[in-house]
Amino acid sequence: MTSSPAPAKRSKAPPVPHQTILSKVFHWVNIVSLLMMITSGLQIYNANPVFGGRGGWHFPPLVTLGGWLGGGRHWHFAAMWFFALNLLWYGLYIFVSRRWKRRFASEADLKVLQTGSNPKRKAYAWHRVLYTAVIPILLLAIVTGLGMYKPAQFHWIVDLFGSWQALRVVHFISVPTVIIFSLVHSFMALKVGGTKLVNSMFW
Amino acid sequence: MESPSVSDRFLSRRRLLQLSGLSSLGLVLGGCASSMYEDIAFKTFEPLNQKVEELLLNPQKLIPNFPVSAIEPNALLINSFQGTPKIDPQAYLLKVNGDVNHSFALSLADLQKMPSTSMVIRHVCVEGWAAIVQWAGVPLRDLIALAKPKEGVKYVYFKSADGYYESWDLASSMHPQTLMVYQKNGLPLVPENGAPLRLASPVKLGYKQSKWVTEITLTNQLYPMKGYWEDQGYEWFGGL
Repeated sequence: MTSSPAPAKRSKAPPVPHQTILSKVFHWVNIVSLLMMITSGLQIYNANPVFGGRGGWHFPPLVTLGGWLGGGRHWHFAAMWFFALNLLWYGLYIFVSRRWKRRFASEADLKVLQTGSNPKRKAYAWHRVLYTAVIPILLLAIVTGLGMYKPAQFHWIVDLFGSWQALRVVHFISVPTVIIFSLVHSFMALKVGGTKLVNSMFW
Repeated sequence: MESPSVSDRFLSRRRLLQLSGLSSLGLVLGGCASSMYEDIAFKTFEPLNQKVEELLLNPQKLIPNFPVSAIEPNALLINSFQGTPKIDPQAYLLKVNGDVNHSFALSLADLQKMPSTSMVIRHVCVEGWAAIVQWAGVPLRDLIALAKPKEGVKYVYFKSADGYYESWDLASSMHPQTLMVYQKNGLPLVPENGAPLRLASPVKLGYKQSKWVTEITLTNQLYPMKGYWEDQGYEWFGGL
């Protein structure tokens, strides 16, 4: 979608939402790399299910990437660079540009959620709180993943979560969390800004 | 016997292993289109990942021991690629050779007379499970020192009684907690876990920790046959 200047007679129409190219790049790389992390992660899961061990329930090949444990690991440890470095540069970008103050959940949003009466503003606050809250969840997935990838060098990460099984569970929980987030986030974006807002984030 | 070239001894089984490796790999990979580009992902990123793994490994740093009460006796699953070989512990000999100035062979009794190290560490399998285990045995670096390695030695090959083979980088092999063990959880090692002698270390994945080791060969290069599972596609470094 192009954001050509609105003709004068339509000047009362709401402004077309605009995202920087960097935000769009982040959003795209995040979606694609997360999809690869999740599908290859489920392939790895199948080698020894977190719940039930070898006798546990396995994910069907439709949602796995890699074809076998080694293949799943290869995809996982390739996509991890895109996923983690994408978060890193984007974090630096929103910090340096101070976008985190304007484009992410703030105290004002929390106040709206508590005392606001405008349902549209409230929905917008929920939307902002939701996509802000997913960031620590993504970071947690990286930390728990690093703890399992190099548990000897980063033994303090495993210790932090108490046990190996706890670490595996927390790492795995990021999968359903991210899937549920993606559904609710898409729904909220449509509700708050319609297809114009959704399109602005992609194209 | 003393120092035949390493390539000869590893080439001798090459044909058989290539055939068995290829056929089983075909079975595993054949079914799924999603695995088609897996090899490209591996070849592109494995050099980078291995560099990072080598940087992360601190060859001097001791990995903290767990208390004995943390041992999980039932968590250590038994994996092997073709059952448990029959070995007579009385007749058993560990050979150490390769690019060294002093090749030698030790019996189990000889090994048990050497200074031993005990550790309670987490054994981590590539499949995702882990177990806290106590191991005791001879530090591999003591055996390497006895062999007086020649200049330029960079790798250590391990040959097992069941045909399993592995290769390690020298830094991980020299780690003070990389042991050739004959004791598990306070008891003599049982055959299923690798008796009479197996590799154990907190800094490598389980498939690197060969059971039933009969021969340790120091080399200055990595041969096309890197390890049983590596030759089927697992990563070689396998560091933790």
